[in-house]
Amino acid sequence: MDWLEQELKEALARKEPSADFASRVMRRAERPERKLYRFPRWLAAAAAVIVLAGAGLEYRQYRGEQAKEQLLEAFRIASVKVNHIQTQVQEVGK
Amino acid sequence: MIELETTPEIALDFSSLVREHQSMVFSVCWHFLHDRELAEDVAQEVFLKLHRNMASIQSPSHAGHWLRKVAVQRAIDAGRRRVRRPQVALADVAEPVADSRVGDPLLKETLRRLIATLAETPRMVMILRYQEDLDPAEIGRVMEMPVATVKSHLQRSLALLREKLTRRGLREDRWIG
Repeated sequence: MDWLEQELKEALARKEPSADFASRVMRRAERPERKLYRFPRWLAAAAAVIVLAGAGLEYRQYRGEQAKEQLLEAFRIASVKVNHIQTQVQEVGK
Repeated sequence: MIELETTPEIALDFSSLVREHQSMVFSVCWHFLHDRELAEDVAQEVFLKLHRNMASIQSPSHAGHWLRKVAVQRAIDAGRRRVRRPQVALADVAEPVADSRVGDPLLKETLRRLIATLAETPRMVMILRYQEDLDPAEIGRVMEMPVATVKSHLQRSLALLREKLTRRGLREDRWIG
């Protein structure tokens, strides 16, 4: 071991922590461990899947209602036109 | 007193283990982190982890190896987590007076500061080598790296330290006088 290594050994000699270190560790070790309730991951994932599926279903229903409304509106317009044509055809025949 | 029966023959006393190994665990953390308060916090966490794992500890020597390994891991983790403080630049390291001699406290502080400027792996290798007096094979086991890598870190770090000290006008012949 050369001079530098000898110096390093002395520079990095072990040091003592604070005088009350051990007693602080013992106090913390003896303290009852607080059990934090952790929400299970699988439950969170399942809840997310259910919410997404519900939202998807709701959206499909909404789109279905919209399509139905549009179809009925189209039928109404078409029936007005057909009535109009029918009236004109009847007048020509008179 | 917390005492756990780990095997029928060996009863490990937690408080004795704390008292026996506190300077080792604290010093690994302190030399690595250069922050006394943080080092004590990390050392405390290391012992609390030991307390939770007492059932897996087979003997007092096993406890020592276990504590050293966990202290190394926790100190490195704490170093990474720590809010980056301004690192000690080599230029800021106090220059030792010209007539420094072996045993000079200023020289030791300079060495500690120079070690603090090393990257985390070579820094921890140096601490385990010169604080804990471990040989490269033991360091390799603690840090889970090949012996050749440990030797390489040691050689490079020593060469770097020599160079830095020489650049600061500190040569071996001036130290020894």
